[in-house]
Amino acid sequence: MHTKVTLFVQCLVDSIYPRVGEAMVEVFRRLKVPLEYPADQTCCGQPAFNAGYAKEARAAARRFVRIFESAEAIVCPSGSCVHMVRHHYPELFADESIDYRMRVKAVGNRCYEFSEYLTDVLGVVNIGASFPAKVSYHDSCHLLRGLGIGEQPRTLLRHVEGLQLVEMNDSDVCCGFGGTFSVNYPEISTAMVDDKIDNIVATGADYVTGCDVSCLMNIEGRLSRRNTKVKVVHIAEILASRAGHNDE
Amino acid sequence: MDEKGAFLATIREALGYPGEEVRTAGECRRLFDPGDDGDIFDRITYRTHVEKQSLLKLMMENAVPLNLGVHPVRSFAAAARTIGDIVSAARPEFGDIRQIIQHDDDDIARLQLWKKFAGQAVTVHTSYQADMAVREKAIASYVGITAPRWAVADSATIVEITGPGRPRSTSLLPSVHIALLRIEHLLADLGEAYALLRKNPPQESVVFISGPSKTADIEAHMVHGAHGPREMHLVVIDERMTADRNYQGSGLFPAE
Amino acid sequence: MSDVEKSAYRRDARRGIDDECLQSGLQKIQNRFGKGAMHYWAETADDGLRDRVKKSRMETLENLDVVLSMLADNIEAAGGHVYYARTAEDAVDYCRRVAVKNEVKSVVKGKSMTSAEIGLDAVLEAEGMEVTETDLGEFIIQLGEDRPSHIIAPCIHLDRQRIGRLFQEKLDIPYSEEPPELTQAARRALRKILLEADMGITGCNFAVAETGKISLVSNEGNIRMSTTMPRIHLALMGIERVAATMSDHQGMLQLLTRGAALQKLSTYVSFVGGPRQPGDPDGPEEFHLVMIDNGRSRILADEEFREVLACIRCGACLNICPVYGKIGGHAYNSPYPGPIGAVVSPLLFGINRYADLCKGESLCGACLDVCPVRIDLPRMLLALRRKLAYGDPAWQTTRHKWLEAMGFRLWRTLIASGPAYRLALRCAGLLQKPFISKSGMIKKMAGPASAWTRDRDLPPLASEPFSRRWKKKYSQAAKATSSEVDNG
Repeated sequence: MHTKVTLFVQCLVDSIYPRVGEAMVEVFRRLKVPLEYPADQTCCGQPAFNAGYAKEARAAARRFVRIFESAEAIVCPSGSCVHMVRHHYPELFADESIDYRMRVKAVGNRCYEFSEYLTDVLGVVNIGASFPAKVSYHDSCHLLRGLGIGEQPRTLLRHVEGLQLVEMNDSDVCCGFGGTFSVNYPEISTAMVDDKIDNIVATGADYVTGCDVSCLMNIEGRLSRRNTKVKVVHIAEILASRAGHNDE
Repeated sequence: MDEKGAFLATIREALGYPGEEVRTAGECRRLFDPGDDGDIFDRITYRTHVEKQSLLKLMMENAVPLNLGVHPVRSFAAAARTIGDIVSAARPEFGDIRQIIQHDDDDIARLQLWKKFAGQAVTVHTSYQADMAVREKAIASYVGITAPRWAVADSATIVEITGPGRPRSTSLLPSVHIALLRIEHLLADLGEAYALLRKNPPQESVVFISGPSKTADIEAHMVHGAHGPREMHLVVIDERMTADRNYQGSGLFPAE
Repeated sequence: MSDVEKSAYRRDARRGIDDECLQSGLQKIQNRFGKGAMHYWAETADDGLRDRVKKSRMETLENLDVVLSMLADNIEAAGGHVYYARTAEDAVDYCRRVAVKNEVKSVVKGKSMTSAEIGLDAVLEAEGMEVTETDLGEFIIQLGEDRPSHIIAPCIHLDRQRIGRLFQEKLDIPYSEEPPELTQAARRALRKILLEADMGITGCNFAVAETGKISLVSNEGNIRMSTTMPRIHLALMGIERVAATMSDHQGMLQLLTRGAALQKLSTYVSFVGGPRQPGDPDGPEEFHLVMIDNGRSRILADEEFREVLACIRCGACLNICPVYGKIGGHAYNSPYPGPIGAVVSPLLFGINRYADLCKGESLCGACLDVCPVRIDLPRMLLALRRKLAYGDPAWQTTRHKWLEAMGFRLWRTLIASGPAYRLALRCAGLLQKPFISKSGMIKKMAGPASAWTRDRDLPPLASEPFSRRWKKKYSQAAKATSSEVDNG
């Protein structure tokens, strides 16, 4: 019997890409993993933290700990959020009591990124998904460098029926999102995402995928503006697909 | 408190110590712990000649990308011939007069280069300590010949230590630098050179040289020959070189 | 003034991005040396070396007073002079005094970022002295009255054609764009100057306290010439650029040449310190080491930032940084560009003054991965951002963007309450409707988010957030699965 998974969908998924959350649910349902979703969740605090607003981030973090600490396993479709909870929450609460700090650490230990949870915890690599298309994978910075997750998504993608995984040049170079960086330094951010898109297009891929909606939103936004025909899809959506799927 | 005292006091305070109390090396012994180089010295001391010959082969491979010419020879006479060839083949860069300058060193003296070039239009200077005009002679020379203390196989490096009769300019100002070494002084890696320098720290200046000068400042395009010598050779004397250990395997230079 | 013009960083970043010549140079350097360094660390067995060197750097910093004192004693014992410069002005004034006292007419310089930091050249030139940069890249910069854009390859932003034209004009030689010919031209032009100069000024890669020598690393030989031929050698040294022992030096040297240019060793590593010894026909008559604080002791005092002083100035972080790789070194407007410059420049010269350097990168973390001594630059950038967010009197920092601060206060209120957050989403969902174009994406936003829609489309908020979909579709199913599992 599988451990119950508590979904931490991420504020961007909740508000802009709910289909990513639905795809996660579909995958877990197929794997017969019991789920719960604390409806009160909002944000892990990362946008504020990265911009330097630690006090505001702490408020979000405290709330997160309160909402999620009774969970056995917290799974999130975003590497950067998981990195926030695992690595930065202990920093945010460094001045708290040892008890509280241990609670925070425990929450971090039980918080997983989606692809990581599937391969490393559930030990599953084949979800029975089917997605016949040429797909390239973008390595998000916090996922790869912060959490060391790079093989897991690729393993899952390689087991998807009909999917042809094509590696792009510089898949691990930052897409230029960086939170408020993208709106405070747009010329630099755009130049970086343009390089990323040139690399994607060079692979001839139909889709680009990744494990972090922040990056994908950035890439999708620029692809749309450039009128480039590559489509953007989160890995959960690929894994939720079955034979005869329709593009959403 | 004088300038030095005030300056160091600021640093002490930055580290959380009281400014006025001068701290000594004894309080951070571990930082200055010399460590034990015993293993390294044993390795150097007990290295066999055959092992050194292998190191020489390795150095020759490592020298290729650095544009460093390595010439193994069997004798001092052969070394003199090789050096003679290099000098004859090279052309002076600044002006026409052929002058070469060599360190005041016993091994170099054995080459008797003045004999080799007697009758040719090549003047051989020696950088004697007493010679007041050494600087001018180095500037005027197109070849400089030195005898480094050691060479290091792994990085194809020579280690030169300045001293009376062994000025820095000899390996710096001429267009061509030739270094003469006996294989007995060949080390495996930089760690061994450091250990030897730690054992007897020289008062004088030391320089590690790994090939002729170069630069890649223009479009990251590598050019050999910047301000230092643009051509460099290392002549290594292995008096125990035999027919089957003549470095021909490395395909780089024929044995003498 | 537009937003872009108000920020020198953004304005110069834009210029860098549009400069094709710069982009080409940066790509070359990043592809070869940035990726090469990462590859090297991944392949090399001795990862322990990086940790050992980091440890010894930190230990040296934690005992810097003792180490510097030993260095000074050893230099003075060999007949050299040591000057303790608290500020840039102190350092510059001392150099000027030494040069004037010795009737120096001509100065040759080895590459030294510290000399740029303190603004030395202009002062010497004002005394009527000829100051010539001898490192090829710096020489080209000086001829072109330009600024270096990389700490190891200063003129990477210039192509061979530009350099060819520059040499044709300034050195009066026929036009050539071949690097070997251009290098040869510089060699000839500089040889005379190097041989006749009165004073050589260099930086110092690392001094070694226990031997009283400074080490200088180069490939060209210009530094050897600058420290051997002139009668005075003056070396500028930031107080952190010192190793306690030769053992420490060994590790640092290996990491420096690998991190900088993937070399086992640079062509020349010289150890000098003190005037010429008896029987040494070369070598200066006078040796001066100028130890420079200029704000470093303040960094040392702050344990959050002390680590940044462990830097060995290899430039690997510049070679891997995707931001630097787009904007180039000039955009930083500091003698120290790139990721290391983004931390060190604010700390040395003012956090508010260099606010854009603190905030103008995406925190991707590549610099931490590539740094030979594992300096956690992202951590320190976050710390600097916190100071800009709330102000910090200890660092004379005031709040940076009050509008942004207000924005996050509002954000906090919204995310702190489930109902408030959901209500805000509903409102935003309604307000966005006029902005949604036919394609389904938002093409133009108002307010601060308009910077996003300048170059990118924005997906609209979903008609139904996930939380509502869950309530409608899944919570029953989830309960069913749970009971299925419990019973099955």
